Amino acid sequence: MAPRSDHAGGSAAAPVATQAHFDSMDPLFHVLRVLPFSFLRPPRTRLRLPSNLALPSPMTVFSLILLTYFAVVSGLVYDVIVEPPGIGSAQDPGTGAVRPVVFLPGRVNGQYIIEGLSSGFMFVLGGVGIILLDLAVDRTRPRSLRASFGSAGAVAVLIAYAMAMLFLRIKIPGYLW
Amino acid sequence: MAPSALASLPAPLRSLRLKTKQQELLLRVSALALIYVLAFAVRLFSVLRYESMIHEFDPYFNYRTTLFLTENGFSEFWNWFDSESWYPLGRVVGGTLFPGLMVTAALLHRLLRALSLAVHIREVCVLTAPFFAANTTLVAYAFGREIWDSGAGLVAAALIATVPGYISRSVAGSYDNEGVAIFALLLTFYFFVRAVNTGSLAWALASAFGYFYMVSAWGGYVFIINLVPLYVLVLLVTGRYSQRLYVAYNCMYVLGMLLAMQIRFVGFQHVQSGEHMAAMGVFFLLQVFFFLDWVKYLLNDARLFKSFLRITLTCVITVGTLALGIGTASGYISPWTGRFYSLLDPTYAKDHIPIIASVSEHQPTAWSSFMFDFHILLFLFPAGLYFCFKRLSDATIFIVMYGLTSMYFAGVMVRLILVAAPAVCLISAIAASATIKNLTTLIRTKSRSPQTTSGKTTGSKSAAKGVVDQSLPFQHNAAIGLLLGAFYLLSRYAIHCTWVTSEAYSSPSIVLAARGHNGGRVIFDDYREAYYWLRQNTPPDAKIMSWWDYGYQITAMGNRTVIVDNNTWNNTHIATVGRAMSSYEDEAYEIMQSLDVNYVLVVFGGVTGYSSDDINKFLWMVRIGGGVFPVIKEPDYLVNGEYRIDKGAAPKMLNCLMYKLCYYRFGELTTEYGKPPGYDRVRGVEIGNKDIKLEYLEEAFTTSNWIVRIYKVKPPKNRS
Repeated sequence: MAPRSDHAGGSAAAPVATQAHFDSMDPLFHVLRVLPFSFLRPPRTRLRLPSNLALPSPMTVFSLILLTYFAVVSGLVYDVIVEPPGIGSAQDPGTGAVRPVVFLPGRVNGQYIIEGLSSGFMFVLGGVGIILLDLAVDRTRPRSLRASFGSAGAVAVLIAYAMAMLFLRIKIPGYLW
Repeated sequence: MAPSALASLPAPLRSLRLKTKQQELLLRVSALALIYVLAFAVRLFSVLRYESMIHEFDPYFNYRTTLFLTENGFSEFWNWFDSESWYPLGRVVGGTLFPGLMVTAALLHRLLRALSLAVHIREVCVLTAPFFAANTTLVAYAFGREIWDSGAGLVAAALIATVPGYISRSVAGSYDNEGVAIFALLLTFYFFVRAVNTGSLAWALASAFGYFYMVSAWGGYVFIINLVPLYVLVLLVTGRYSQRLYVAYNCMYVLGMLLAMQIRFVGFQHVQSGEHMAAMGVFFLLQVFFFLDWVKYLLNDARLFKSFLRITLTCVITVGTLALGIGTASGYISPWTGRFYSLLDPTYAKDHIPIIASVSEHQPTAWSSFMFDFHILLFLFPAGLYFCFKRLSDATIFIVMYGLTSMYFAGVMVRLILVAAPAVCLISAIAASATIKNLTTLIRTKSRSPQTTSGKTTGSKSAAKGVVDQSLPFQHNAAIGLLLGAFYLLSRYAIHCTWVTSEAYSSPSIVLAARGHNGGRVIFDDYREAYYWLRQNTPPDAKIMSWWDYGYQITAMGNRTVIVDNNTWNNTHIATVGRAMSSYEDEAYEIMQSLDVNYVLVVFGGVTGYSSDDINKFLWMVRIGGGVFPVIKEPDYLVNGEYRIDKGAAPKMLNCLMYKLCYYRFGELTTEYGKPPGYDRVRGVEIGNKDIKLEYLEEAFTTSNWIVRIYKVKPPKNRS
């Protein structure tokens, strides 16, 4: 009895395999089955995120944000949309000579590229100066470093404010004194 | 004696402590009261100089609708069809405006009447913006205290009271939606941050109602409904998910959405518009987070949870993407509006939508506008960000995100400096408060050092020596110097703000002022002169054609029907007017006949030097008209790409309707000493066509200084 059942199972399997091979009506299937996949095998792949993937530290993010801030307050969006020249030019009414003009006069909401970048640098310099003042208060640092930070911070804020006021007065001639 | 002496000791100490606390409270309340009055008073320059009046172009529609609301009631206001605007289309008012401002002013008016104060509704409208600006200082104080401490709150209130970026849209007489909306915006953010900090349902509910008020007041509410989910997303990414956040956002979003949909102008946009999809996505993401958190709690096996997590995330992302794709493809989810898209892609408006790019407050921002509107806050802002990153919490992360996003949008569109102003003030207040606290701590530390040194024991001597070693040389004097420097900078900020408010933001667009030869002020009241002429000398059903800038004023002050106005909701209709202005007189006459125009109003600054006139706006009429009607081409009006009005101007320019109406009879006028007749004081040249003849229109009225000119359209000639 046992041999008979084995024989029956074997005969049942063979026709199924044959039917599977011939069942497909798609001609491309047969072509692809023979040509590349008779000797090629799809590789076993596994995608894994790197285990050391971590969020950046707060100060790293702050540094990137500072760069973005510099871009915005320099009027970079204005430069992209309006496409002003790097510096302007003006003709001397007396001699007719053309000389460069760094600041676009007469318009509050207008700028050349160089004046925007210069002013943006001053704004960031002032901000960094205040940050240095905070670092100078940290008692865990050595005295010389604290003194350097404090001095540099105060000087930075002073320069930034003076230059920003100068730029503003060039920009707006009637600005208060 | 001894027991009584011991008993008497605590009493003075106890009363001393109470006194200190009471002093602090008194000082804080006094400071806030002064800041409140300052915020109100600094905005009254225009009322003191001219009179109490609405003095910008757009707000006249707001005033007219408020008047209608107080006279006819809310239901009539809500169902109002305005046939005096956009002739012959008309306008469904209730469905096309944000009613928050009008309802607020009407309620204030009713309250004052109930208190037996017989004020006119116009006075309430003029002072609504300063009143809400003063209230905003209180919200800024509460917000600053929530984020950092009460010192920062006080500094924030003081800064926001006078920041020019906020004053520009909240001076007396600027009766516009932003006056109320900035208060609502900051209130919503404060309530939400407090809800996140406390996990309280009541504060989240308050936030939802603040959001409702914001939605009813201004279209800028889209900023709130995108910033809050962005903030929630950042908290999730940084691993700060908490039950408090879940409660706060769920309540705020669901209730806020339901309340927002009650505003007819918003309606189902809140669940169908592309601008609102981010909020919905984050809402569902938060449910997924809650579900996974719960499953993680149930499953003890970490490996099982990870596989479950992977399956769930895959399903969620697939379903979400599929839903978004099907929604967009079927048209259920509408794409981003042009204005919203131009904030994300700054170059979009320039290429595709000339009517957005033509508005001066939609221009990108130069550095000098930032400096003009923020002054030293531009230095304090990055320092404030540094302090926030040093002390990260849910609240500081919010203000950092609010500051960064609003600052970027302020860079794209100069008008949005208004939205950035509260954020910049709050972050700058953190920097100012922390820095001043550092300096005062240094000053106080030095004064205690000698007392410590005077200690007799060996231990105290060594401790004192350590303290002295830690201090810097000249620390005391340096700290005092820096503190004086800080106060100097803050005082310069106050002076700058007052000057900017006085010189730049308190000049009405409707009553013009200039400096005469002797330095005194010369007042040009031509706009009101023209509108009163229209009101008294034209038939009540007369139709006035003008550029859309003056539409609201003509309906409100002239009480006449206009073809287009400042709502700018129908680009084709505006383009038709632009085409009429750009065409020859006979072609324009046919257009005016089809629109049933009776009078044409133009604004001309060649006599006074008023540069915001129609000749300077004319190229935008050509661009907007040419965008819809290809027969209008911009190069036809230029000479080698240059815009000219003199003899060398393009022939089409010299004979178009706008040129003829502005310069009619101008060629006979001598405007400036030593210049020939017909010298245009804005363009600085002598006009090219001095002998203008009108065939289909006749001059009806020209104001004293030639700023507004009104022409009557002649009826068609009888044909045999």
